[in-house]
Amino acid sequence: MQILLQLIASGVAVGMIYAAIAFGYQLTFATSKTLNFGQGEALMLGALVGLSLTSWLGYWAMLPLVLLFGFVQGAIVERLGVRPSIKIKSEFGWIMATIALGIIFKNLAEIVWGREALPFPSPLPTDAYVLGGVRILPVELLIVVGALGMMLAVEFFNRKSIWGKAVRATANDRDAAGLMGINTSQIITLSYAVSSMTAALAGVLVAPRITAIDANLGAVLGLKAFAVAIIGGLESGLGVIVGGIILGVAETMTGYYISTGYKDVPGLVLLLLVLMVKPSGLFGKATIKKV
Amino acid sequence: MLQVEKLVAGYGKVEVLHALDFKVEQGQLVTLIGSNGAGKTTTMRALSGMLVPTSGSIRLRDKEIAGLPSHAVAKIGLAHSPEGRRVFASLSVDENLQLGAFARVTGARPKGELQRDFDRVYTLFPRLAERRKQYAGTLSGGEQQMLAMGRALMLNPEILLLDEPSMGLAPRLVEEVFKTIRELRAAGVTMLLVEQFAAAALEVADYAYVMENGHIRHQGPASQLKTDPAVKAAYLGGGH
Repeated sequence: MQILLQLIASGVAVGMIYAAIAFGYQLTFATSKTLNFGQGEALMLGALVGLSLTSWLGYWAMLPLVLLFGFVQGAIVERLGVRPSIKIKSEFGWIMATIALGIIFKNLAEIVWGREALPFPSPLPTDAYVLGGVRILPVELLIVVGALGMMLAVEFFNRKSIWGKAVRATANDRDAAGLMGINTSQIITLSYAVSSMTAALAGVLVAPRITAIDANLGAVLGLKAFAVAIIGGLESGLGVIVGGIILGVAETMTGYYISTGYKDVPGLVLLLLVLMVKPSGLFGKATIKKV
Repeated sequence: MLQVEKLVAGYGKVEVLHALDFKVEQGQLVTLIGSNGAGKTTTMRALSGMLVPTSGSIRLRDKEIAGLPSHAVAKIGLAHSPEGRRVFASLSVDENLQLGAFARVTGARPKGELQRDFDRVYTLFPRLAERRKQYAGTLSGGEQQMLAMGRALMLNPEILLLDEPSMGLAPRLVEEVFKTIRELRAAGVTMLLVEQFAAAALEVADYAYVMENGHIRHQGPASQLKTDPAVKAAYLGGGH
């Protein structure tokens, strides 16, 4: 029982990272029906930029700058990779473009930070809290609090501010949003910016937990978060949190009971199962396309 | 107020509007009538920038708006309540109205008295006031139509475009919609109305254009067209 609880606790922390990245996928999908397949690279860049800034400013003062960096990086991805393909109504151009930009970012990161994994100092004590026999690292708590906080902040912005409402209106009906005087291209850029900002924050949250980071950090995380977005449903905010936790816990359990070598399998199995049983995601609404 | 000259527009290679000329004067209620497929909705879409016209000129208070994206047209003061209502289904009634005033809240248009305009819409449509917190998607068709009109009014527009406000509504609600249009006209709102209920449209309008296959076939004061034998025969159901 103790072991089970321990596995769940560790799984939740990993899962919240997946959820934060998957949440980013949802943001851009809502407004533009496109995704940033370089989302993992946005996370990796956030972590590496965060590392460089940490040695200069310390961990906490670095956070706002990393958020700003992610915001700008996401806006660039949208302008370079996505907007041209939306403009010519290309159905698949953005897929190649965002993957290509992701590869470019990864290579740039290798040039700037090298190929060696770099140690990321922990901002919090490294001694675990022990709660009813379950060990929880302070940095794991940081992940959960940070990721949830970020998602809630974005949700709050979308519900309460006029620009957030413009984002939701664009997601609802882009043409009608335009009639309100909303520049919906700008709103799509905004959603990419916020999406990458979320990923960059996820990067500096996960980095102290995995202790060493390199330019390859993003690829696997981005892919797994994509599975989470599909499992949870691309249009359900709650779905990615539950989906992330399910995947995180499934992984730690596989790692413990079977072998760490198979740690990446449950994500793919879950993905396939969900696609077979409920293609719109566990929390997605089945949509019927009216013609 | 609104002056359209030689407007040509269409979808892809299909030309729908063939060099339309018409205008709407300040304070006037002008209606475009005509059968299905005459190009009424296409005209509205070209005016509000939902569709980029092929050629021609559209001037709103001496500003050329042809070819501008719809958000820019809205900021100049043209509000469009589109065909099929197009309310934001997963936003509340209140939020839909706030977004109607988006250009004013964000400073792209003079702010004016927002609260007064909210109150005006809720007075005009008391049913919406009862449902302010409800998602727009849960409203009935008639209520959605009221919301679409109220949302467009929240721009405090120079001109209001109403596309098929009676579409799909029960007769009692159609009457209610027309009553509102009459009230808006009395309040001095400049309007361009597209309607399939030609008789009802001619009843409320000052001036009318009759469209057919992307051309304007007849025009004149609404009271005159109402009694015009050719118009009567084609659009008002013959001898009734």
